[in-house]
Amino acid sequence: MPGELSRAAAIVGAAEANEIGYPEQPRTAIQLHIEAIKNVSDQTGIPISRINGVFGAGWSSQIAEHLGLHPSYIDTTSVGGGRARGADPWDPGSLYSNPYGVSGAPSNYSHAMTRHNYRWGTTPEDFAHIAVVTRQWATLNPRAVMHSKETHPFGGPITLEDVQNARMISWPLTLLHCCLVTDYGGAVLVTSPEVARSVKTKPVWIAGAGENMSHSNMLEMEDFTATSAAASSAAAYKMAGMGPEDMEMAMIYDSFTVTAGITAEMLGLAPRGEGFTLWKDGRAAPGGSFPINTNGGGLSFNHSGMYGMQLLVEAYRQLSGTAEDGGYSGLPGKQTSARSCVVNGTGGSLSTTGTLVLVAD
Amino acid sequence: MPYTKPIPEPDPLGQPFWEGAKSGKLMLPRCTSCNRVHWYPRHICPHCHAREIEWIEASGEGRIHTFAVQHRAFGGWADETPFVTAYIDLNEGDRMFTVLRGVDATKPETIKIGAPVKVEFEAASDDVSIAFWRVVEG
Repeated sequence: MPGELSRAAAIVGAAEANEIGYPEQPRTAIQLHIEAIKNVSDQTGIPISRINGVFGAGWSSQIAEHLGLHPSYIDTTSVGGGRARGADPWDPGSLYSNPYGVSGAPSNYSHAMTRHNYRWGTTPEDFAHIAVVTRQWATLNPRAVMHSKETHPFGGPITLEDVQNARMISWPLTLLHCCLVTDYGGAVLVTSPEVARSVKTKPVWIAGAGENMSHSNMLEMEDFTATSAAASSAAAYKMAGMGPEDMEMAMIYDSFTVTAGITAEMLGLAPRGEGFTLWKDGRAAPGGSFPINTNGGGLSFNHSGMYGMQLLVEAYRQLSGTAEDGGYSGLPGKQTSARSCVVNGTGGSLSTTGTLVLVAD
Repeated sequence: MPYTKPIPEPDPLGQPFWEGAKSGKLMLPRCTSCNRVHWYPRHICPHCHAREIEWIEASGEGRIHTFAVQHRAFGGWADETPFVTAYIDLNEGDRMFTVLRGVDATKPETIKIGAPVKVEFEAASDDVSIAFWRVVEG
């Protein structure tokens, strides 16, 4: 039985900033936001003046002000994509982690890979399959930074050997186990069923939603091979009245290969310890039975930090049909005929997670 | 030789830990209600939410829970790459983060999860000593 809020709202449009990746002319964050919002307004035909709620990973009030809006609902989040906190000298990280030379996300996430290898008998090469397959998706997406040699000197297909022989960043994570850092702006428009039925784009229904967290500082991560995506997806599946067996594709925050592999397990898409097999045996790859990260992922498409919006834009693009009709706002690229998608974003150091179950008509 | 790596600014909450560290003792907070040790120091027990917390002198022993080898770092740590960071399961319960000593960072396959470790302290300044953990013979 779906929960009462299941399908009470729909995404009716998804768009990106005009230039993403490594634009030649410097972009400000606000410009990336505003371009994406203008594009999603044009795509749906819903004028910006009708926007009545603004949600961002930070920036919400600045965005509303820039647009001259006085929305009745404004909020921000650090769930589903996070970044390093400020430098409070007395927070636990400053006192008990930073003195030991950790320097950002890769230096933390590597500890999870080591533990996964130990506990489940996996290897870094198992996870390298995730990087290889995700790059295959990027070669199908002209807006992906790593699409080809024309988009980036190191773009185009990669092999397991490329991944494993890349420069070591934080053992066992080489450079190609880590996501990109690029410019990106994205926006989705969420509305009521009544409005969703009246606009020119197709609705993608928010069938289920859930949030959860296990810790903020990795010191408090009980099991380094599990995240709160198990709990946030359980809530989302319950609300949707669906389960992982009903999903036809997935969009998973792949900040690192290990993030995607563990998250797939938490979402119920594979048994514990076996998430990587979705990529290794080709199910998650182009032409496979269960596409994952069809945009090329944070690993090979784009990654601005706080990647959740990029997951949503691609999920809408694949489920809505906008990709196959020439691509409103320049986003052609239908890769799958999936009608349902589980979307999961991870914030912090495998800390906070948000899960959505999205369903097309 | 001056200590070039980040030196934390001791906080009032963790004062017994910082004082203990200066004399080579590992002090840990323990809830007098549920008897469980927690790390990092809290204003309230994260297990039972009692506020009566005492400090005990710990054994200074533990085991490697997981580890990584850092090949990129900033500031003073940049001069020491590669080095091994690790989460330590304390004998008294809960976990600390550290840089491991007594290991070869160029041979991570020789470092074993579960290996026994002992704490040692390095004076980073007159006021602050920092806990490091060293792999010992099992």
